[in-house]
Amino acid sequence: MKVDRRLSSFEMFTLTSILIGIKLTDTTPSLFSQKAQNAFWYIPLLAFICILPAFLVLLYLLYKHNAKHFVHLFELLLGQGLGKSLAFIIFILSFVMIALDSRNYVEQIKILYFQRSSILIIFVLFGSVCIFGAIRGIEVVGYTTRIFWPFIRISFFILAALIFESVVWQRIFPIFGAGVPVILEEGVSKGSLFLDFFLLTMAFSAFRKPSQFIKGGLIGLIFSIAEITFFFFLYTTVFDYNSIEKISFPFHEVTQYVNLGDFFTNIETFFMVFWLLATFLRFILLLYLITWLFGAIFNIDEFELLLLPMGFFLMVIGLLPDNAVVTELIYRNKLLNIITPVIALVPFLLLLIHFFKRKKDLT
Amino acid sequence: MKTISLSGLLILFILIGCEDMVEVDRQSYVIAVGIDVTDQDGIYAFTYQIANPEAGSTLAGIGAEQIPDETITVFGTDIMTATNTANSFVTKQIILDQTRVLIVSEALARSDQFLRIMQSTARTTEIRRSIQIIVSKENASDFINNNSPVLEQRPHKYYQYMLSRAKETGIIPDADLHRFFQITEGDADLFLGIYATTTYDPKELDGSEDEFVAGQVPKEGGNVTQFMGSAVFKEGIMIDRLTGEETRICNILDKTMNINEMLANYPDPLAPEYQVATDVFQTDNPKVNLNYDSEMNHATIDVTVPFEVKILAIPSLIHYSQNEDFKRTLRDAIEQYITDATDELIKKSQEAYRSDPFYWSIYIRRHFKDIPAYEEGDWHKNIYPNADITVNYQLKRLHFGKMLDDTKLDEVRD
Repeated sequence: MKVDRRLSSFEMFTLTSILIGIKLTDTTPSLFSQKAQNAFWYIPLLAFICILPAFLVLLYLLYKHNAKHFVHLFELLLGQGLGKSLAFIIFILSFVMIALDSRNYVEQIKILYFQRSSILIIFVLFGSVCIFGAIRGIEVVGYTTRIFWPFIRISFFILAALIFESVVWQRIFPIFGAGVPVILEEGVSKGSLFLDFFLLTMAFSAFRKPSQFIKGGLIGLIFSIAEITFFFFLYTTVFDYNSIEKISFPFHEVTQYVNLGDFFTNIETFFMVFWLLATFLRFILLLYLITWLFGAIFNIDEFELLLLPMGFFLMVIGLLPDNAVVTELIYRNKLLNIITPVIALVPFLLLLIHFFKRKKDLT
Repeated sequence: MKTISLSGLLILFILIGCEDMVEVDRQSYVIAVGIDVTDQDGIYAFTYQIANPEAGSTLAGIGAEQIPDETITVFGTDIMTATNTANSFVTKQIILDQTRVLIVSEALARSDQFLRIMQSTARTTEIRRSIQIIVSKENASDFINNNSPVLEQRPHKYYQYMLSRAKETGIIPDADLHRFFQITEGDADLFLGIYATTTYDPKELDGSEDEFVAGQVPKEGGNVTQFMGSAVFKEGIMIDRLTGEETRICNILDKTMNINEMLANYPDPLAPEYQVATDVFQTDNPKVNLNYDSEMNHATIDVTVPFEVKILAIPSLIHYSQNEDFKRTLRDAIEQYITDATDELIKKSQEAYRSDPFYWSIYIRRHFKDIPAYEEGDWHKNIYPNADITVNYQLKRLHFGKMLDDTKLDEVRD
C-alpha cells in the first residue's frame, strides 16, 4: 500500500491549534492583564483582527507564487540578498522568542511539579525530548499531533467544566477594563502572539495541496482564538482583575483549585500530563520550524542535522534570564511589541512589490 | 557495546526524573495549619496537625492502637521556614499538599499582621487555593489541641465532612483562600471567614436555633469544637463577627454562595409562645436590581429573594395547613421575620461596617465604563453605605410535608 507521506488539512488544523492554543496555559494571560486589567480576555481577539489581514496576504502570495515557504517567497519578490536578510531578521526575533518561551515553560514545570530539581536538568531533559522528537521530521510531528490533539482538548474541556461553578460572570464589568486607549494599544501591539503561525508557513510545501494548508490553518486559527478567548474569559471571571495580575500561571492555579467531588481532591497531575504532552509537541514543532528557517536562509538542504546545535543554543539563551518574572514582564513583553510590526507589515510590503512586479511584467 | 551505552544513556534519562521523588512514608502530611501571634512582631507561632496515615486504616491491624494525629507548634516568620524548623524534631519531611484548613486566632485576625501572613501563604506553591480559612476564638494551637472528634478520628475526613455539612446548612460561609484574595484584593466587599471555637460559653436558650456564634451553642456531649457564624474581614482585618443567622442571610443574599437547605425556627404568629420549625430552601439565586445614578454617585438596590418553605413541626398545633387565613398569616409572618432580620443586618453593615458582606459590588460594575472610573466611584466607601436598599422575600410555596394536619388538641383532650 502506498502511503502519502505528506500532511493534510486536519493535521494543519491540529498543528495550528497546538501552536497557538496552548498559549492559554502559560504566562500570556497575566502579561496581558498587567495593563488591560479585567478586559484582557478579549485582547487576543483584537490582536487577531489586527494581524489577520497580514496572514491572509501572506497566504495569498504563497499560493500565487507557488512558493515552497516564506523565505522562498521573499527571495522571489525581493531578490536573493534582500529576501534572505529580511528572513534572517525574522529568524533572530523568533529564535529569541522561542528561547524565552521555552524558559517560561521549563519554569512552570519546575515551580509547580519539580521544585527541587535544578533548572538546568529540566531544561536539558526538555531540550532532549524536543530534539529527539524533531529529528523524526515534520510528517511524524503532524501525525503525532493529530493523534494526541483530541485528548489534550478533552482534558482542557474537563477543566473548563469543573471550574465553571466558580465563574462570576459579572466580573467582566467594567467592560473596558483599564480604559479604551490602553486596550486598543495592547491589542494592536500584541499581534505577535501569532508569530508561531508565521513560522508555520515554513511547512507550506509539506502539505498535499497548498489549499489544504490554507484551509486547515485558517480554521485552526479561528478555533484557537475562540479557545484562548474562552479560557481568558474564565480566568477573568474566576480570578477578578486584582488577583489575575499577581498570578503567574493561572492555568495551573485553576488545576490546583478544582476538585472532582469530595473524594478526588488533588487532581492537578491529571491535567499536567496532557499539558506536558501539548508543550512537548509545541516545542518539537517550533524547534523543527526554526531550524528549517535557518536551513532555508543559508541554503542548507540537510537542515535536520542542525537540530541538535539549534536546540542547544535555544537552551543556552533560555537559561540567561534570572527568573520567570524578568523573562515574562520585561524581555518577552518587549519582544512581543517589537515583533508585531514586523509580521504585520512585511506581508503588505510583499504585496506592494507583487503588484508592482506584475505591472512590469504586463508592460 | 553500542546497545549497552545506549541503554545506559536511556537509564540516565529516566532516573533524572527521580530527583524530586520522596517516598510516601517519608512524608508527614499536615492537615491543619494554625497561626498565632507571639509577643514579638513578625514572629508567629505555627501549629501543624500532622495526620498519621496508618490510623484507622484496615491494614493497621487490631492490636496496635494508633493515634490519628500529632500536633506540634514552632515559631517562625512564615509557613515554609517554620516547616523547616519543625524538621528538627519531626522525623519526616513536612508536606502541605493535603492541608485542608488554615486556622487563625482571632487575635491575629484582628491585627494588621494578618494580610502579611496570608500573602506569604499564597506564594507557597504547595498551598492550594481551596483551603478554608477558620478564625478561632482562642489561640489556634489551643483550638487544634482541644479539638477531639470521636466519630471522625482521621483529621482530614473530620474537617472535610464538618465543613461541607455546616456549609450546606448555611451557618458558616464558604471561606476558601481563593475567595479571600478575590474580595480582599478587589477591595470592595467584606470577606466572611468561618468562626469556630473549642471554648464553651453557652448562651441563654431563647427558642431560636441559630442566633449564636461559635461557642454559644448549648449542647451536651459531642466534640467540644463548634463551627458557627462568621468572622467579618474588612480590607484584610477582622472587624466583627456574625451569628449563624446573620451568616445565613449573607449566604442567601450572595449569589456566589450555594446553600442547599436550612432548618430554621420562626415565632408562631398565632401562638407567640411557640415556634414553627421549617425547612427553608432557596430555589433561585436572588435577583439583585441595582440602579446607579452616576451624577450623585448614589445607588438604589432592589433585591428579590424567591424561596420555598417546608413546615416540619407546628408545636402549637394550630391548623395552618387547611385554613387559608391562617396560612396567609403564617406566610406573612415568615416573610416579615426574615425581612426584619435582613434589614437589621443591612443597616448594621451600612452604618457600622460601611461595606457589604453580600458581594454586591459585582452588580455595580456594569455601570462603569472602565476600572479607573469604578475605583473612583468607590463602592465600599461611598456608594454602598449611602445606598437605598430594599430586600423583598417572596415565599413561593409553602409545603406541609407528609402530614395533612396535626393532632386535634381539643379532641384528644376533651
